[in-house]
Amino acid sequence: MVAGLTTMVEVEHVSYAVGRARILHDVSVRFQPRKLNVLLGPNGAGKSTLLKIATGLLTPTAGLVRYMLPQGARALDTFPVDALARTRAVLSQHVEVAFPLAVEDVVLMGRYPHYGRTPTARDLEIVAAALDLVGMTDFRGRVYPTLSGGEQQKVQLARVLAQIWNEGESPRGQKCLFLDEPTSNLDVHYQLHLLEIARGLRDVDCTVIAVLHDLNMALQHGDAFFLLDGGRVVLETEDATTIPRDLLERVFRVRADRAVDSETGESFWRFRL
Amino acid sequence: MIPRTRRGHAGVYLTLVGLLAASLVLSAAVGAFTFTPARIATLTAQLLGWVPAAPADALDRNVFIQLRLPRVLLAGLTGAVLGVSGTLMQGLFRNPIVEPGLVGTSAGAAFGAAIVFVFGAGTFTRPLGTLAVPVLAFAGAFAATMIVYRLSTAFGKVHVFTLLLAGIAVNAVCGAGTGFLSYIARDPQARNITFWNLGTFTTADWRGVTLVAICFVVCFGWSLRAGKALNALMLGEEEAAYLGIDPRRLVMQLLVANTLMVAVATAMVGVIAFVGLVIPHVLRMLKSSDYTFLLPASALLGAVTMEIIDVVARLIIPPAELPIGIITAVVGAPVFLAILLRQTRQGGAWLQG
Repeated sequence: MVAGLTTMVEVEHVSYAVGRARILHDVSVRFQPRKLNVLLGPNGAGKSTLLKIATGLLTPTAGLVRYMLPQGARALDTFPVDALARTRAVLSQHVEVAFPLAVEDVVLMGRYPHYGRTPTARDLEIVAAALDLVGMTDFRGRVYPTLSGGEQQKVQLARVLAQIWNEGESPRGQKCLFLDEPTSNLDVHYQLHLLEIARGLRDVDCTVIAVLHDLNMALQHGDAFFLLDGGRVVLETEDATTIPRDLLERVFRVRADRAVDSETGESFWRFRL
Repeated sequence: MIPRTRRGHAGVYLTLVGLLAASLVLSAAVGAFTFTPARIATLTAQLLGWVPAAPADALDRNVFIQLRLPRVLLAGLTGAVLGVSGTLMQGLFRNPIVEPGLVGTSAGAAFGAAIVFVFGAGTFTRPLGTLAVPVLAFAGAFAATMIVYRLSTAFGKVHVFTLLLAGIAVNAVCGAGTGFLSYIARDPQARNITFWNLGTFTTADWRGVTLVAICFVVCFGWSLRAGKALNALMLGEEEAAYLGIDPRRLVMQLLVANTLMVAVATAMVGVIAFVGLVIPHVLRMLKSSDYTFLLPASALLGAVTMEIIDVVARLIIPPAELPIGIITAVVGAPVFLAILLRQTRQGGAWLQG
C-alpha cells in the first residue's frame, strides 16, 4: 500500500559539476508524497539544477535519484523515458511557441506519452478537464502565441496536468509534478491561482516539488521546505515557523523581521537590505 | 472522437489527392508531344499490360514511356521530397523560414554532385559506381546542414540570426565550390552544371525516378512516425524531453532522413529553392501547424505544385524550357519576404528563438 511510503522522490548523495564549477555538493533530500515540497534559496544556490536532476533532464555527476512507486523503487537511470513521462511532469518558467498552435493542441501534447497515433476519447476528456481545472476552457480554440503571459502559463499548466492526470484510474498511480519558478512571470492573482491548483493536486496522489522565489508565498503554501545555499541543503523542515531568522539573513544576505498580519494573525517575513 | 482542431483534415487530404491526379494527367498531356487524357489512359494500360500493345502506337508509346512518364513522376516525387523536407526542417529548427535551400542542404548536395560530374567516373569515385553522384551529394548536403544546425542551436535554443548568417556562409562556400568546378570543367560538363544549378527535369529517366522514389518512400515513411515528436519539439528541447522524447536522437535521425532524400533528389534534378518554404507555409495558413497533418499534406501539395511548375516551365517559352529554379524563385522569394515581414512585425519573439 502506498500510504506507508514516506518518500516519493529520493535524491541520494547527488553532486553536479560543469567543468570546474561545482553546482551541487553531495545533496540528499527526500521529497514527501502528496505534499507541496518547496525548494528555497538565493540565486545560484542550485535549486533549478537540483530540480532538473530530480526530473531526469540532467544526469548527476555523482549520486542517484529514485522514484518510490507502489510497484517498487525505480532509479532514474533505469526508468524508460516514456514511462517516466507518464509519472512526472514539469512546468517551466515560460514556454514560447513560434508557430500558430491552438491551445487545445498544446494541452493535448501532455497526452503524447499515453497514446500512439491518435488520441483516445479518454485523452480528449482529460484535455477538456485539465483546461477546465485551470479555468481556460473558453480559450481552447485560441492561438497560443496570441495569449498573454499569464494565459500561456495556465495553458502550460493544463498541459502538464494532462500529462499526469490521475483521476478515474484504478488503482491511482503515484504522480509527481515539478514546478520550476512557475510564478516568476505572473501577477499575484495568477500566482495564487497556480499555487491553489498545485495544493489541490495533493488530494489525487500527486506530489508537488516546486522552486519558488517569493519566500512568504512559499512559506504560506508549502508543506515541506528545503533551503539550499551554495549547492548544499542547509535546512529541511516541515514547519515554516521554525526557520531561524539568522539563517535566512545569512543565506539571502538581507535583514529579516518577523511581522504579524493584524487582520489574520498570520506571521510573515519582512526583508530589507 | 476527433478533436475539434483535427476536423476537416480528411477533406484537405481528399482535395489534394484529387488535385494530384488532375495535375499528373495535365503534366503527362502537355509538351512537345501532346497526349489527350484518352491517349494517356490507352498508353498506360498498354504499359501495365492490361491491354495488348498495338504496333501502331510504338512511337507514341516510346515517347510517353521513356520521356514523358519519367519526367512527370520525377517532378511529382521531387515536389513531395522538397515539401516534406521543408516541413521537417522547419520542425527541427523550430522556425517557419527554414528550408533546404536556406540552410545549405541543396547547395551542399549540388557541390557534392558537381565533384562527380567534373572529375568523372574514372577517379576516386569509381568504387561507388553509378551511385557516386547521390552518395557525394548526400555527403555534401549532410556536412552543410550539420554545420548550420550546430551553429544555430547552441544552448538548446535556435538563434535565427545565427541560422540565417550560417546559412549564407555555407551556401556561399558551396556555391563557390560549384562555381570553381564549372570553371575548370570542359564545356559540355560546365553547361550542364549551370543548367542543373537552376533545376531541370529534362534529364529524367527511369533510373533516377526509381532512386528518388526509394529514398522518398523510406525517408518519408520514417519521418511520418515523428509527427508527435515534432509537435512536442515546438515547445522547446527541454519540454520535449519532459514528454519522453530524446530531442538529440530525434534531430539526428530526421536530419539524416531529410538530407538523404533531398540530396538524392538534388543529384537528379538540380537545385530547386523555395518550394520547401512555401508548401508548409500555405498548409499552416490553410489548416494547422500540427505535424501529423503537415507531413502527409506537404508531400501531396509539394507534388501538385511541382507538376504545375513543370507544366509552366514547358509552356512558357516553347520550344525551349525554362529552368524550374527560376520559376520557384520568382514565386517563392516574395513569400519568404512576406513571412519575414509579418513575423518581424508581430514583435519578433521568434527572432530570439
